[in-house]
Amino acid sequence: MTWDWNFVLKILPRLMDGVWYTVLITLASSAIALGGGLVLAILETVSTTFGQAFVRFWLELFRGVPTLVLLYFTFYVLPEFGIVLPAVPIGIAVLGIVYAAYCSEVYRGSLITIPAELRDACVALHLSPYITWQRVLAPLMIKRAAPALLNYVLGLFRETAVLFALGVPVLMGEAHEVGYENFRFLEPYTLAGVIYLGMNLPFLYLLSKLKDKHA
Amino acid sequence: MLNTGESSHSGPLVPRAAAASKTFEPHGSAPKSQQVRWAIEFEKVSNSFGAYPVLVDLDLQVRPGEKVTLIGPSGSGKTTVLRLAMTLAKPTSGDIKIFGESILFDMAGKPLSGSQEARIRRRCGMVFQHFNLFPHLTVLQNLIVAPTAVLKQSKEQAEESALEYLHMVGLQDKARAYPAQLSGGQQQRIAIARALVIKPEILLLDEITSALDPELAGEVLDVVRGVAHRSKVSMLIVTHEMRFAREVSDRIAVFDRGRIIEQGPPEKIFSHPDSERTRAFLQSVLNH
Repeated sequence: MTWDWNFVLKILPRLMDGVWYTVLITLASSAIALGGGLVLAILETVSTTFGQAFVRFWLELFRGVPTLVLLYFTFYVLPEFGIVLPAVPIGIAVLGIVYAAYCSEVYRGSLITIPAELRDACVALHLSPYITWQRVLAPLMIKRAAPALLNYVLGLFRETAVLFALGVPVLMGEAHEVGYENFRFLEPYTLAGVIYLGMNLPFLYLLSKLKDKHA
Repeated sequence: MLNTGESSHSGPLVPRAAAASKTFEPHGSAPKSQQVRWAIEFEKVSNSFGAYPVLVDLDLQVRPGEKVTLIGPSGSGKTTVLRLAMTLAKPTSGDIKIFGESILFDMAGKPLSGSQEARIRRRCGMVFQHFNLFPHLTVLQNLIVAPTAVLKQSKEQAEESALEYLHMVGLQDKARAYPAQLSGGQQQRIAIARALVIKPEILLLDEITSALDPELAGEVLDVVRGVAHRSKVSMLIVTHEMRFAREVSDRIAVFDRGRIIEQGPPEKIFSHPDSERTRAFLQSVLNH
């Protein structure tokens, strides 16, 4: 089997469709993961013992069960209860929620590093609990958590490949499809790997920038 | 001396706009504010850290406008007094009143809710040993958080008044800087401005120069001297700077092991104290 450049040119547009889906799903589920993770971390901190146990249960559930199991469950089992959702929203939601669980741990870790004295200052300035979170604690949590969060976004980006199992035309899915249509796998999977790697680079650059800033 | 704020020696230290707007008068909504005798009042307050007693049956009153300094050995409970007044800690027994209103219990003796407590303690401001400025906000943003969020001022209004207070502490040119770009002394002057911009009637100063080099401590104390001499704000001060305590205070209370062992005007405490323990403490701090 030899490398066929004509085949490469033929399948490249379809793979680029897959890139578009991959980017879209990464952005949408990152938004859920970053926002949801922050909300979960704050909820766990401010809620009662019962509320904390509830949040912890969900966190452990989504961190403990493999993503593929969650995806198949929502895609194949929920319809049996009359809940039928298209594959793309399911993919976005499941990845978003799983990574929200990871991100909330990062946020919680960064919350612990915020000195208690800053909370004293908020009390002394008579800021309400809401304003304290909104103006002081949440911004500091986000700032301190940024490098670790970006790592998770990177992980999420790579994990979008798993959505091909639901037939979502992410880059991996498209590579799989064109491979089977033509019974040639060398070029599609090689290209997919190279494109994934290439798309990592801006993230890695951003990450090194952030780490420099925080070092 | 203040290195940049010569105006503090010529003009009034409290910005004119702030002084004109009934700055240090009790809020109109507070009941019987005219007859209130004490700005802050501790009644039989005890506090303990586990089994270790921090304060024992403390009785302490501060008149409106009075400047009271707490001195005494480390661990004698001075800082706890300030933290209790700001509700950063709760006493194990006793009551604390701000302008006649308890910050712990309502009329029926039930514990106050968070918002009731916040309303009453709003008349207090506090400056901390480690400044506690918000590191992610600029100096100006640090100063306008409370006025916009708590006093519901517009951003423009809050910034204008913040700049006046920055001018007062001699740091108007640092409005756009971040705390990490300033010296410790400058950060503490900003923290003082931040506490004053919400116009407290009681100012709690907790070892505000303990984290500073002596030459930086001087510029901070100059600012406080100015505020003390030119405003009607009550002050409750914890400090190890005896010269400053002597200059600025109307009254000194000497703490030892959670109790006030002696109190009186600074001249008396420093020149001929009654208590042997006061004499021993002053000897140890003045001779080093």
